[in-house]
Amino acid sequence: MAPATIVRALEAGLLVTFALLPLALADFWVIFVTRVLILALLALSFDLVWGFAGIMSFGQALFFGSAGYGVALLARDAEVRSIFVVLPAAVVIGLVLSSLVAAFLLLGRNPPSLTFVALGTLTGSYAADRLARGWYYLGGQNGIPSIPPMTAGPTEIGEGRSFYYLALVFLVAVYAACRFLVRSQLGLALAGIRINEARMAFFGYRVQWLKAIVFSVAGAIAGAAGGLYAFHEGFVWPNMLGVILSTQIVLYTLFGGAGTLIGAVVGVFAIEVVSFVLADAYPTVWPVILGVLLLVVILFRPSGLIGLVLDQRARAGAFRVAVRRPRHVPGKAADGAA
Amino acid sequence: MRDDNEPRHDPSMPNRRRFLQSAAWTWGAVAAGAGSWVLRPTWASAQGPIKVGIATDLTGAIGYAGNANANIAKLVVKEINGRGGVLGRPLELHIEDTASNESVAVANVRKLIQRDKVDVVFGGITSSMRNAIKDVIVTRGRTLYIYPQLYEGKECTPFIYCTGPTPAQQCDEFIPWLMKNGGKRFALPSANYVWPHVLNQYARKVIEGNGGEVIFEEYYPLDQVEYSATVNKIMTNKVDVVFNTVIPPGVGPFFKQLYEAGFTKRGGRLSCVYYDENTLNINAPHEIEGLASCLDYFRAVTKDEPGSARIQADYDKQFPGPIVFAAGSAATGMYRGLKLWEAAVKEARSVGREAVAKALDHAKISEGPGGPAEMVPGKRHCKMRMYTAVAKQGTYDIVARSKGLVDPKEC
Repeated sequence: MAPATIVRALEAGLLVTFALLPLALADFWVIFVTRVLILALLALSFDLVWGFAGIMSFGQALFFGSAGYGVALLARDAEVRSIFVVLPAAVVIGLVLSSLVAAFLLLGRNPPSLTFVALGTLTGSYAADRLARGWYYLGGQNGIPSIPPMTAGPTEIGEGRSFYYLALVFLVAVYAACRFLVRSQLGLALAGIRINEARMAFFGYRVQWLKAIVFSVAGAIAGAAGGLYAFHEGFVWPNMLGVILSTQIVLYTLFGGAGTLIGAVVGVFAIEVVSFVLADAYPTVWPVILGVLLLVVILFRPSGLIGLVLDQRARAGAFRVAVRRPRHVPGKAADGAA
Repeated sequence: MRDDNEPRHDPSMPNRRRFLQSAAWTWGAVAAGAGSWVLRPTWASAQGPIKVGIATDLTGAIGYAGNANANIAKLVVKEINGRGGVLGRPLELHIEDTASNESVAVANVRKLIQRDKVDVVFGGITSSMRNAIKDVIVTRGRTLYIYPQLYEGKECTPFIYCTGPTPAQQCDEFIPWLMKNGGKRFALPSANYVWPHVLNQYARKVIEGNGGEVIFEEYYPLDQVEYSATVNKIMTNKVDVVFNTVIPPGVGPFFKQLYEAGFTKRGGRLSCVYYDENTLNINAPHEIEGLASCLDYFRAVTKDEPGSARIQADYDKQFPGPIVFAAGSAATGMYRGLKLWEAAVKEARSVGREAVAKALDHAKISEGPGGPAEMVPGKRHCKMRMYTAVAKQGTYDIVARSKGLVDPKEC
């Protein structure tokens, strides 16, 4: 099977599975999967910057957490919790913050190195975590508890099926938008930047601007995820901004397979389900087992779980080439005949 | 009536196999250490077991405390089941790991509430953990929640009951003692998070109310390990009492630097209200000789408190090893909470949340770690005895004890 067909089959399969899942699952599992869907949104935002544009962002949690705190404050202090206000607010918070970070890290006089951006975003995430811990308006270390549910008009969107479908619709919409983005001209330019930045710059692309744009878009997605997460869990706390979550996002994506979009979703699902099962079976040592498992996969399958069904060439930039070649050959043959 | 953990309507299972199964279960639980997730009672009743949920940090930074909590829950539940359970029904223990990580915790506590449908949840150690899980338990889950750790107070949400000491209980008798046995000039070096801020606010009130003086109150990052500037300030300002709320990993180096500067040698008094048998090992004994702490229980209390002695002996027998039964890790509050809840269920003759809460509001136990305890009606906090102890060559000496039960002064 051609790689594109595999990806399409996987996408369709997951979509149908997720759409039907609540019909088969008990309440507890519906809520569990809702959380996974929200985290998948977050992993998607990381895959966009790392898998496609080659920007190592260790700070996705910064945008996720800030948006979470933002909507928590809206709900606590302004008593605003209408979905039509809080979710756009979350997106805007993520977007504005990531644009600022992008402007600072990417749009300087000299093009930044990979390490500079990785450490810069990591520092941002760490600093925000420390700031939230020490700031009593934000509840300090204890965070903001008891966030009331979101409302849509007169109805409350509590955890359960309605929240599940809300998260799913969001995920599907964002996924489709990302898919469109990475297959557009912009996406191709990004893949070019990832593979050979100097050459792209030589061609006249404004490399840093393109990177800044995709970084901001990813920040907005992370913000949306943060807003949903805050209302779903009913609680925000400093770790939501911090380095641990930022690293976890990187792991989700690497585990699933970077540069494929669907890999990020698969990664989140796999890690969350495996940790759940392990925590149930080995309550005292499960984090160690999980760690070893992640290491083994990354060592033996650097392309992640998705590498089990897709070969290396099918990923990200190589993607288009591998897919197009067979389509063009018959076209040329036809030309020749004419 | 005795039975074992298999449902009675299953006649296909031979007895010997059932026995082997339950034996394997028990050994599995022993082998896995503290963490078996469901501990089924060894007998059944027609109405089924009462499900008790424990959510505590079995793994992560404060795993030592969480495991002590899980151990004590197993001990109490075993004892209650041995005596015929509550209302003729055995208790079934569901233990979940909160992993010292709030996002994992919320997911795991949901298991207790939504999947296992437990009748009550005990647990949480840090305040941030309590905040993370309380909504899932109390508001969304409509279940009773009992929080066992010493903490900064101010948790007044209905259906949350706190069984650990509050700032009032740790300061009201302790600070006057420190003034008598140290001096009037206090320093409050602290880690920068909620508990030290709120505790210090209360401590300052008691210090100033008793004619003492706070020389400085400073907050350091949680992971700071270099304290020479603080030590210098303490030495040059002739501080008499260091009322410490710096926590690990900083507290070890801090106490060491303070000792090396000669603070205790010149008669200074070191004090720290979360110091128990676990934290005693952070420093070499001579570095913290004379450190004073005030808690609801110390191992030294067992010498003249037979109830505590029995609990401690049971614990040591069932859980020999590095996880000790200590007040600073919420294990004493966990014991108290379980027993108070048992008393409340007996009085209410039901496990329904409203009925149990009503009875728990004035529940009393005559025996527990450190002595008797009772809930203050309408306050959802617990009156208990408090002990002042001083570190002496690696153990504690009890130097003062409260006359009766100390009021938590909360809510």
